[in-house]
Amino acid sequence: MIELGEVQHAKARFVERRYLKVLKSPLELTGTLAYDAPDRLVKRTLEPKPETLTVEDDRLVIEIQARARTLRLEDYPVVWAFVESFRSTLKGDLAALARFYRVALEGGPQRWQLSLTPRDPKMSALIESILIGGSGRRIGRIEIREAQGDRSVMTVVEDAQ
Amino acid sequence: MSAAGRVAVLAWAVLMAGCAWIAWHARYTADVSAFLPRTPSPSQQILVDELRQGVVSRLILVGIEGAPAPVLTTLSQALADRLAHEADFAYVNNGSQSRLAADGEFLLRHRYLLSPGVTPERFTAAGLREALENDLALLGSAFGTLVSRLLPSDPTGEFLRLLELLEPEAGPRKQDGVWFSPDGTRALLLLQTRAAGFDIDAQERALARIRVAFDAAAAQQGAVQARLLATGPGVFAVSARAGIQQDVSRISLLAALLVSVLLLVVYRSPRALLLTLLPAASGATAGVAAVSLAFGSVHGVTLGFGATLLGEGVDYAIYLFTNTAPGSTPRRSLARIWPTLTLGVLTSAVGFSALLLSQFTGLAQLGLFSIVGLIVAYVVTRYVLPELIPNHFAVRPAAALGSAFAWLAGRAGWLRLPLLGLVVLSAVWLASLGSALWDDRLESLSPVAESDKRLDEAMRRELGAPDVRYLVVAAAASQQAVLRAAEGVGAELERSQRAGSLGGFESPALILPSDVTQRARQTAIPGAGVLRENLDQAADGLPFQPQLFEPFLQEASAARQAPLINAADLKGTGLALRLESLLTERHDGWMAMLPLRAVREPAAVAGDLRGVNGVHLLDLKAEANALYRSYRGQALRFALIGAGAIALLLLASLRSPRRAAEALLPLAAAVLVTCALLSLGARQLTIFNLVGLLLVVGVGSNYTLFFERETFARTDPQRTLVSLACCNASTVIGFGLLSLARAPVLSAIGTTVAVGAFLSLLFGAILAAGRAARG
Repeated sequence: MIELGEVQHAKARFVERRYLKVLKSPLELTGTLAYDAPDRLVKRTLEPKPETLTVEDDRLVIEIQARARTLRLEDYPVVWAFVESFRSTLKGDLAALARFYRVALEGGPQRWQLSLTPRDPKMSALIESILIGGSGRRIGRIEIREAQGDRSVMTVVEDAQ
Repeated sequence: MSAAGRVAVLAWAVLMAGCAWIAWHARYTADVSAFLPRTPSPSQQILVDELRQGVVSRLILVGIEGAPAPVLTTLSQALADRLAHEADFAYVNNGSQSRLAADGEFLLRHRYLLSPGVTPERFTAAGLREALENDLALLGSAFGTLVSRLLPSDPTGEFLRLLELLEPEAGPRKQDGVWFSPDGTRALLLLQTRAAGFDIDAQERALARIRVAFDAAAAQQGAVQARLLATGPGVFAVSARAGIQQDVSRISLLAALLVSVLLLVVYRSPRALLLTLLPAASGATAGVAAVSLAFGSVHGVTLGFGATLLGEGVDYAIYLFTNTAPGSTPRRSLARIWPTLTLGVLTSAVGFSALLLSQFTGLAQLGLFSIVGLIVAYVVTRYVLPELIPNHFAVRPAAALGSAFAWLAGRAGWLRLPLLGLVVLSAVWLASLGSALWDDRLESLSPVAESDKRLDEAMRRELGAPDVRYLVVAAAASQQAVLRAAEGVGAELERSQRAGSLGGFESPALILPSDVTQRARQTAIPGAGVLRENLDQAADGLPFQPQLFEPFLQEASAARQAPLINAADLKGTGLALRLESLLTERHDGWMAMLPLRAVREPAAVAGDLRGVNGVHLLDLKAEANALYRSYRGQALRFALIGAGAIALLLLASLRSPRRAAEALLPLAAAVLVTCALLSLGARQLTIFNLVGLLLVVGVGSNYTLFFERETFARTDPQRTLVSLACCNASTVIGFGLLSLARAPVLSAIGTTVAVGAFLSLLFGAILAAGRAARG
């Protein structure tokens, strides 16, 4: 975790599988992630439909088909959970994480897993838990379990820096 | 005291008691609407209504600051909870989601009647296929969670479309669920009062409720250091009224004190002092009562004239006392100076009567107040005062004063040439300024302090509160017809929006579509069997769970037979309030208002609307300024009419063009030089300066009439000079103090009259001395 805090810039490719109750088979999305310390995170989905999410401070900009919408992160709790867990983990900001989640850390520096459970009842009505796995200063996998039973698993492959 | 005298005094006492009672019970206002026209054009009427009672006039913006953010959040929540239960408020919002739940529920329930997306094509197999593919894409997006929850009942996305139509994109910044300023130091709330903005008593009550609720919340939290800020049109009106009342009472008191000191120095008799103040006080009381009876309420600005009337109303008594030599009686001096005084009162009254014709309640009130006040002061001086003066009572004005003035007046003649130069210089200067002399903004009338305006602008920006400038207005005979018209306008506006000349718009028809449109949407949805068939065909090959869309099939079918939505169904939602502000019933029908956002090309929007009947695009800012220009033009016209009437009156009563000219010349010079002096400080003149100039003519004519050769020759020159100096000093004191008032109207009139009255006397003396030297 302390090592993670030294990350200034990170770029990665991701594959995300969404297991949704409304669908018979999971959705698969691929794209890139970019992080700039301390607060900026860009998630760019390339397939199947291009979409760019840019998060800076508490603003979320969603770009779909050349149309940009600026929203409050707070109004999109699932995105927020993802962003905050990701950002704070990369920042190595355990205190920020602990403010939003009950945090449990397993494993050693080479192979670790954080499991986060929301503290806020409004949040936990939507999100059951978030599991972040990684090795060293890299995040390898993020799983978000939603309270209603939906689940998404993102595998992150970091580019060489 | 003679029998007639006793009757006069008794009548006066009864009348004054009645007037005082009326004045005591009068309703006092201070809103800007008194300076709006009484019989406006249709587009002005909209502006006036918006300013008086429109939704914008009822907004109160509240800020809480001075404590750590978590405390501010708690206070914001506590304040909102308390106020939400108060009957004075129609709408309380601090940004917390739960307050918007009622709106969301309404939109979801009625989505098939409300959404413009409901067309026959949407529910064909092809249309549904497109919708489902779009859903699939959205499930992978940031909106995935929301979409997956709505999907079973709303695969065509009508609810989200409605949200997007009705919600502005980015609201204020939020922190811990409530609105905050961008720097995080101020929690923000948006309130709307039930009462109209012009109802200052109700606004004051609402403000008091906010304070009480806040104090209670702060005490409960132990947050003594937290501060409450409130701004908005109603707040401004309340503080303007309080400010004017405070100024007026302070200035009146100070003016009374200073005039009393002046009179004591000259008369050296407290009794003479009290008697001198009597006509002025009677006049002011009667003036307030007359305005209250004629207009139903008294504007604070009118009240401000109490102070100035004091300065002018004492004049008559001063003339009476100073002209009564020892051994003579007031009645005898009355007989001597009375014709001149009568003419003076008449000229003033004629001058002010031009104001009575004004379309603007504020000016008409000033006119009525001044005319009634002066005439009552004059009548009291004539019929009541002599009865109250003991026999053989005479004041002995300091003798040195009289001879000093006489000496000065005798040598003022050489100033004629410099005066001529000054007048020419002023005329050239004013001509060079041209129309730049005038401030053409309606805001220049506003009694709001600069710092309050800045706070208001800042909080408005932070909250994204409406600050409407462009408005499309549609009128029709019935509610349904006007909703149809709004739908027609909406179609055109969408065209402008696509062309980029417009950012967006609001419409009552988005919240409450016309019955015709609602029925068309019902018939756009096919019967249950066809819909199921189309859906099955559309979902073929897509990964949706089987039976997933059962809720959709049921709800869409139900919507086909659902009762149409009417305004009553909106009760209890924030949308009801929004509808009410966009759709109003008037005496001659209904009116729909469509406020426009981010208008980039007004001309293009107006062009798109040309084809729609009974509709016009209003630029409220331009309307406001045009209104003000017409207001100023009107005041200027009335001032000229007043001045012309005064000239005619003098000509008729003095029966000599030369004598009339002698009385008028110094006045004209004084008005010109006053104008130039006022504009010298790089300040633009407002309508209030114009009214002040009219007062200068009214007041100044009294002085110049005494200086007119034949009148002057009939009087005791030393006593006349002392009385003129005394009157002038009291007028300058009254109006001069008024120039210290915070309200622009009071300070502008005060400055103008103080300068103008002094110059009238000075110029009158100079020209009279010049004539004496020649002749």
